[in-house]
Amino acid sequence: MRFVVRRLLLFAAALVGVSVLVFAALRILPGDVAVVMAGTNASASRVAELRAEFGLDRPYVVQYLDWAGGLLHGDLGMSALTGRAVAAQVGRRAAITFPLIVMSLVIALAIGLPLGCAASIARSPRLRGLFHVLAIAGGAVPALWSGLLLLLLFGRGVGLIGLFPSQGFPADGWGDPARAIASLILPALATGFVAAAGIMRYTRAALDDVAVDGGPVDMAMACGMTRTQAMLHVGLRLATPQLVSVIGLTFASMITGVMVIENLFALPGLGALLVGDVGNRDLVAVQSELFLLAAFFLVLGLIVDLTHRALDPRLAAEEE
Amino acid sequence: MSVEIEGLRVAVGATEIVHGVDLAVGDGERVGLIGSSGSGKSMIAKSLLGLLPHEATPSGRIAMGDAVVLGDDGYADERTLADLRGRYVGTVFQNPAAALNPVATVAKQIELPLRMHYDLGAGEREERVRAMLDKVGLPQDVLNKRPHELSGGQRQRVGIATALITSPRFIVADEPTTALDSITQRQIVDLLVSLVDDAGASMLFITHDFAVLSRATTRCYVLEAGRVVETGTTADLLTAPKAAPTRDLVSAARTLTLEAHHD
Amino acid sequence: MQRLRVILRTMWSRGTGRYALVVLALWLLVALVSLFWTPRPLLATDGYHVWAVPSADHWLGTDGTGADVLSWLMAGSHTNLVIALLTVVCSGALGLLLVGLMVARSSALASVSVAVVDALISIPTVLIALLLAVPFGASAAVVVGACSIAYGLNLARVARPAALLAARSQYVESARADGASGLYVLVRHIVPNITPVLAVQLSMSAGTSVLAEAGLTYLGVGVGAGVPSWGHSLATSVKLINVFPLTVLWPGLIVTLVVVALNLFGDALRDAADPVANPALRAGVRGESADAMPDTLQAARPSLRSGIASADSPLVAHGTKEIVDER
Repeated sequence: MRFVVRRLLLFAAALVGVSVLVFAALRILPGDVAVVMAGTNASASRVAELRAEFGLDRPYVVQYLDWAGGLLHGDLGMSALTGRAVAAQVGRRAAITFPLIVMSLVIALAIGLPLGCAASIARSPRLRGLFHVLAIAGGAVPALWSGLLLLLLFGRGVGLIGLFPSQGFPADGWGDPARAIASLILPALATGFVAAAGIMRYTRAALDDVAVDGGPVDMAMACGMTRTQAMLHVGLRLATPQLVSVIGLTFASMITGVMVIENLFALPGLGALLVGDVGNRDLVAVQSELFLLAAFFLVLGLIVDLTHRALDPRLAAEEE
Repeated sequence: MSVEIEGLRVAVGATEIVHGVDLAVGDGERVGLIGSSGSGKSMIAKSLLGLLPHEATPSGRIAMGDAVVLGDDGYADERTLADLRGRYVGTVFQNPAAALNPVATVAKQIELPLRMHYDLGAGEREERVRAMLDKVGLPQDVLNKRPHELSGGQRQRVGIATALITSPRFIVADEPTTALDSITQRQIVDLLVSLVDDAGASMLFITHDFAVLSRATTRCYVLEAGRVVETGTTADLLTAPKAAPTRDLVSAARTLTLEAHHD
Repeated sequence: MQRLRVILRTMWSRGTGRYALVVLALWLLVALVSLFWTPRPLLATDGYHVWAVPSADHWLGTDGTGADVLSWLMAGSHTNLVIALLTVVCSGALGLLLVGLMVARSSALASVSVAVVDALISIPTVLIALLLAVPFGASAAVVVGACSIAYGLNLARVARPAALLAARSQYVESARADGASGLYVLVRHIVPNITPVLAVQLSMSAGTSVLAEAGLTYLGVGVGAGVPSWGHSLATSVKLINVFPLTVLWPGLIVTLVVVALNLFGDALRDAADPVANPALRAGVRGESADAMPDTLQAARPSLRSGIASADSPLVAHGTKEIVDER
């Protein structure tokens, strides 16, 4: 329990810290945000008007407290450019980005877990070397490139075998789930392949760590399991806490790739929103969106740590 | 079951660690293998049943009863080895705190060899496990505990129970007492010896401590830097050690025993 | 110098090490050459040959402004080299600073820095880059900054267990008793003990900077428009896809080959520079017999067994951290 309480306190502190960080970083902006928003030919009075409208003329502390207070109530503010609520925009686009991330993760696990197990179980130096190179090479592919290659192979209109839509997302969103999923398949494969290499490496390392000399895997083998059985039944179970961490890490590390891939496949997801807002220096929107995403990853870190803890009876025993 | 090792070599990477060892254990015999740490004795124990780490490559010949474990073409296939392990050959590990599955209950751990090799109902398995607990002197209430809730001596009793639950014909005990205090050491050795003798099994007992060996074995091999330097009855080696490594090990055991008595 | 020769020879003797050395040497060479010469001047656009397919004049074709793709790739190797080197230096400096704080004697300082690292490590690189891009605009500094922060945090977390062992050792205790400063202890005692981790992590951070440059430049927050880089070439090739699809292969292939080389380089360097793993180094440096590895040394480095474990050691942090902390 002490661990959980400490971890929760840390999480709350991190949330506050990140919000201050995001807020402060955006205030060292060289260009005046109001000037940018008003456009190049705007008069000084128009700029002052905008500044007053968005409360940019108030002291930083007041601005921060106002923003943070809004966050607590779920109010993410208004986009300065579109005038729409940031929360609504984020929600609509998350409906594309999160399914994409989850599909990528499923693909990455489906490829990476079995290969990682095989790499750890393999005995011959040649085979182990091959798996090693495969994992390193797979992780070195830029997501943009894997996406392009997939387009060239399977993209409808551009590819050798046009199997899947290569651009965009159905206008009616998830109205037709089959079409929505079809348009996410190539993007998910593009990021999934690259992430699979990471999962493979981590799985192999986790299993190698668990299968120490004279450890439970050896014990299971001594009881009559083959090496493969022992690794899959005992080794994998013991590596589960680490694998949970790996999935959390992979989730976070996929984000860059996901944003690139959304752009390449013209998917109107969170990545496109964020990149657009950064390009437009839409201060209010960027501030809330960055904080929201950072908070999401802090939550993810929290969940991973707590799950990790719960799955490992030895760590739990330390508490008692 | 008799075990024969002929010309066993084990290399880790490019470095050879065991340089051609011959060793035999007769049917029903308790044989010791003693050497200082790093002499390669653990490698020999692990090579018996294909438990070597992947960097290690063995060569030579190992036979158990009628089965050839290691031959000219390397190891027998993994299925054959797995059929031997836990059924005809039981293994007691050096450090039960590391070897026992931390997420499995004692009951699950001890019954594992039964599950792997025999088609028994859950009730019958539990009956046998309970009987085994009595034999190794553990209370019945440890059944649903996990290893971290047990003492060091209790853990090694679980290890012994697991190794012997299927009444194997040959036991490999790889430094089974090294991780224990001296009083518990003696109890565990005596327990192991009596159980092995009751079952009429043979045993290879590996250690660096002559004091333990004299209680556990009748005959032994002294290993130094990957070679057997002396062999004979344990009593003879203790009273009249010839090779220098043997003398060192015997005097180390004397000093330790004296110290233990002074405590 | 002798030591360096032995290390390089050992790396060269293995296939993976040789590959890494060759690719990195080529990278360096092309980057140097591109400073003085490229097949075509970078800004020489050829209005009659936009989107040209490969030919004798333009080996890899031209892009939408008629600029030579090969020349831009060569010039890009220079930009990426600078970004990678700066990332290694900055993430190394940040990482060491954090390691120093995390193993500090003051337990308050140590636990606060551990908590900060633990919390911030789950923030993805691209978010840091986007945050930096708002004030700084698209520039190489954003790539270097984001990679350095992300990898400095990662390095600190991965190196902490080894650093903690070193910081609590007898040597450090006695150095402290003699009045050694914290900085002296960090440089003299802790850094040597985490060198293997540093070798692997820093070359991985160089590789990640190459990947991140490609992604961020495509998103418009990496190097500025008109600056040659592999990310720039890759992003340009997206538009070439309908003209000559095979042109897409080159920039991506170069990035992949270089990142593989950087990852293998770290592994090979760690193995070759470690006196425990490399007998030639012991023989060469101390004149000992090469084949007998002392038992104590073997026992001291159990990590040797699990080959790539240290390369993938974000795991280490999660697995052992809590146990160490609770004690």
